[in-house]
Amino acid sequence: MNDDLLFFTEVTLAGLGSGALLALTALAFVLIYKATRVINLAVSEILMLGGYLFFTFAASLSLPWWGALPLAILGGGAVGAIVERGLIRPMLGESAISVFMVTVGLGSVLVGLVEAFWGTDPKSLPNFIANTPVFFGEAYVSRKILVAFIAATVVIGIFLILFRFWRGGVALRATASDQAAAYSCGINVPGVFSIAWIIGCATAAGAGVLLGAIGGISPVMGVFGLSALVVVIVGGLDSLLGALVGGLALGVIQAWVSSFLGGEYVSPITFGILILTLVIRPYGLFGTHEIERL
Amino acid sequence: MSQVSRRSLLQLMGATAMATGVLGGTTLAAFADDSELVIGGSLPLTGVFGFAGVAIEKAMQDYAKIINDQGGIAGRKVRLAYEDTAYKPDTSVAVFNKLTSQNDIHLYYGDSTAFAKTISLELARADRILMGGASFATELNDPVKHPNIFIPGPDYSEMFSILLEHIAREKPGAKVVFVCSDSEFGRDPIEPGAARAKALGLDMGDVIITPPGSVDVSTEVLKLRRARPDYVIFHGYIKAPLPEFMSQAKQLGLETKFMGTFWSMDSSIWDDVGDVADGFMGIMPYRYYYDTEPAPMLDKIREMRGEYQATGYMQGMISAMILLESAKRVLEDGQELTGKNLKAAMNTIKDFDTGGIIGVPFSMAGNSIPVGRVYQYSAAEKKMNPVSDWINVGG
Amino acid sequence: MIIGTAKESYRADEALLTTTPQRIWMAILMAGLVALPFFFNTYWIYLACLVMINVIAATGLNVLTGFTGLVSLGHAAFMAVGAYAVAWLEKNTGLPLPVNLLAGGLLAAAVGVLVGLPSLRIKGLYLAIATIAASFILHFIFIDWRSVTGGTAGLTLEPGRIFGFQLVEYRHLYWLIMPVTVLMVTGAANLFRNRIGRAFIAIRDRDISAEVLGIPILRYKLLSFGLASFYAGIAGGLWVLFFRVVTPESFPLVTSIFLLAAVIVGGMGTIIGGVIGALFMTMVPELLRYVVDFLSPVIPNASLILSPVRTIVFGALIVGFLVFEPQGLAEIIQRIRRFFRVWPFRT
Repeated sequence: MNDDLLFFTEVTLAGLGSGALLALTALAFVLIYKATRVINLAVSEILMLGGYLFFTFAASLSLPWWGALPLAILGGGAVGAIVERGLIRPMLGESAISVFMVTVGLGSVLVGLVEAFWGTDPKSLPNFIANTPVFFGEAYVSRKILVAFIAATVVIGIFLILFRFWRGGVALRATASDQAAAYSCGINVPGVFSIAWIIGCATAAGAGVLLGAIGGISPVMGVFGLSALVVVIVGGLDSLLGALVGGLALGVIQAWVSSFLGGEYVSPITFGILILTLVIRPYGLFGTHEIERL
Repeated sequence: MSQVSRRSLLQLMGATAMATGVLGGTTLAAFADDSELVIGGSLPLTGVFGFAGVAIEKAMQDYAKIINDQGGIAGRKVRLAYEDTAYKPDTSVAVFNKLTSQNDIHLYYGDSTAFAKTISLELARADRILMGGASFATELNDPVKHPNIFIPGPDYSEMFSILLEHIAREKPGAKVVFVCSDSEFGRDPIEPGAARAKALGLDMGDVIITPPGSVDVSTEVLKLRRARPDYVIFHGYIKAPLPEFMSQAKQLGLETKFMGTFWSMDSSIWDDVGDVADGFMGIMPYRYYYDTEPAPMLDKIREMRGEYQATGYMQGMISAMILLESAKRVLEDGQELTGKNLKAAMNTIKDFDTGGIIGVPFSMAGNSIPVGRVYQYSAAEKKMNPVSDWINVGG
Repeated sequence: MIIGTAKESYRADEALLTTTPQRIWMAILMAGLVALPFFFNTYWIYLACLVMINVIAATGLNVLTGFTGLVSLGHAAFMAVGAYAVAWLEKNTGLPLPVNLLAGGLLAAAVGVLVGLPSLRIKGLYLAIATIAASFILHFIFIDWRSVTGGTAGLTLEPGRIFGFQLVEYRHLYWLIMPVTVLMVTGAANLFRNRIGRAFIAIRDRDISAEVLGIPILRYKLLSFGLASFYAGIAGGLWVLFFRVVTPESFPLVTSIFLLAAVIVGGMGTIIGGVIGALFMTMVPELLRYVVDFLSPVIPNASLILSPVRTIVFGALIVGFLVFEPQGLAEIIQRIRRFFRVWPFRT
């Protein structure tokens, strides 16, 4: 393989890897939005919290990674449950913006709590993914990125299947398409809300562990969530498939931009894509187009 | 409104203004206390720079204690007045305004480049304060634009010069790549650094800029593999994403040597990284707590503090030393503590001996101390060991 | 006790201050504003100036979000546009300061209209996210258009000069910032006594219905964006005269969130809400400093928890007000007023 092509392939693979992480985080946004019509910006901070919980279980209590990871994910889910029950449920019927701002405020509270408990210094997670590189033919891939890619695609795959066949998944889809109808069919709509928040936040916490394994953890790592938000808007707020495709696509685009134009262009191009999508297809590539009636 | 009443109104306003002028004067005089010397501080005790701020505060307290035990500066006791800024420039400014309106402050420690730039004009106007700080920004190393500020070490461009000089000695004509974060901090020394590399006959490769908050560095590592540099100099980071960079480069079998600037050089931040950090080099303007070469000041520090003290500690110690030395020179000359006098006194510092915290005596002609040494991390010893002599890149 | 105010004309009904107590309070407030710099030290004057800059910006955002129902999370970027414009004009042209300040506001307004263009197609949360995106793109321009913006190092200013008088100290700047703030807030209050303001409110309440009623909604939405950004631009211009340096990192996303939080906490859709909210949100972190000082004998390392506590309180205020007091501080003030007005009866 010639050098330029090899480089291009490697960059693309790296982009797919980080794209998978974006997709996983985007999934957290989508799950919560689909059920409750809330854009939960605190996903970014729950992601960070997941990293810190893992750190506590793995480094301070010295649990093995397969013990710490489920605990971190459970912790994220528990936060989701508390937040949904305590803050979001009382806001039912309020404007979308108000609920959105509640999650923004919640994010700030979580950052403050993490700073108060764990301090503000960046930390490294214990190494639980081996460092040996992986080669596809000649093309190099970082093992951590590969693990993240596999984990993300498996999780998203499971969700896609669950949504088709599991009762709860069907209930969630029913709630998403028509709340009143779902109610009258005997679906426990508040229960669906809770489940969506728990699963969404748990997913975010899991993504946080993967992210922390690659780049370390710090109270500001939540900015990653903004990129994932771009993915969700571009892919469609209520589309799982959109999160997957959008995440991978954005990951690859960011990798290309960063390699061939320079790192400083990543953020304007990312947000340029966002604005363009909003103007051309406000409901995203795979989202449902809602018609507003008086 | 009649003519008369308007005039009397004006008179009234004038009188009030004068009265406040007088009052303002008296309040200032009221807290001007000749028995003490206050070092004010906008310190980043929390936030991304928290690790440094805490160490800086300890060092300044310790040095104040050392001086006070010796009878103070010209008979005045040294006291610290500081507050946490969380490394946010607007908070730093608020803290500055609060502290200076409550204390008679002539010496100050500021935390960020943005704060230093913001407050510099005010310092020049009020002409009361000499300020050191945690910023090594090249921009601040300009006595004309920033007359009341000094950098307690080499500025970032001078740090690059020291590293490049070391590279040129170790491997003439070596290929160098800079990896910098996309921030004011990160972009600071790129242009002067590249120019310096060319002047030293080095092969200047790419400059890789990483977007802020980027987690995965695979694409940047791939760029490195294409460039195959002998040396990489990181700047604009403290720790992340350096470990990931070095570990991936090692996986790819790159022989590149990695270097960093002062704020990445604390050995404690590399302890939990382990083998990947082995061989990491960087510029350090001060000695480490555990250095074995004879140094009376280090002995004293080790006596006061039984455990390892971070690089920020040394930085804070030097800052306090320079601030107090300048104040001492002004007071001993019987002059007034103004910003100009303090700065002039600071510039008279020649061949100053820091008791070994900086390994060679130095002079402060401009705003910086252009002296430093290259250290290398050893994962086995969990220590930074010197690999060069002290290098002076000053004019 | 005041049972009611009898109004004899529409003009009286539309007046900004309708009752005698209101006029008295307003007179006291104005007298206080004039007297403030004579009685407080530099620190408090500094805070007063900062509060007023935030009041202008928050009032602008309130026009957009509280009155027109368009949410912006890019308001800080418009402040940055104003700040850069004023800094550049002050450095490179000899134009008088008021002209530069006005030009800064107008440029910000132009950028605001441009950013507001997508509001034709998108609204609600999507619009909020589009404004975040716009602010990141502006941030990129501030970094990369080096010949004008000075790159990452930004622009540094000499003290401004107005009518031959140099604005060096905070107490000098106060006399520029205070009157401008009073003017801007009065302007915003007057806006809602005429057609434009009523059109904004109609759009907020139901934009489709407003269009049916014959309000050209695109024009009014853009007007609202322009006005809000004009306010932000003026605030940013004052900000740069105040701090005398602007860099791309001067106006981060957090500032936009802060301004929106100020509007929410103060009370959306009331002029006094924006004012009180900005005052409250600027002062709370400062006052927390005193609380932590006070607690420091009890809690070890109190100075280390100040910053996390501020972050938590900031978030908790947003959440708390949205959940328990969605009308904000303005509503609390109304309640207190009602209490005294009908005292000794209960409401």
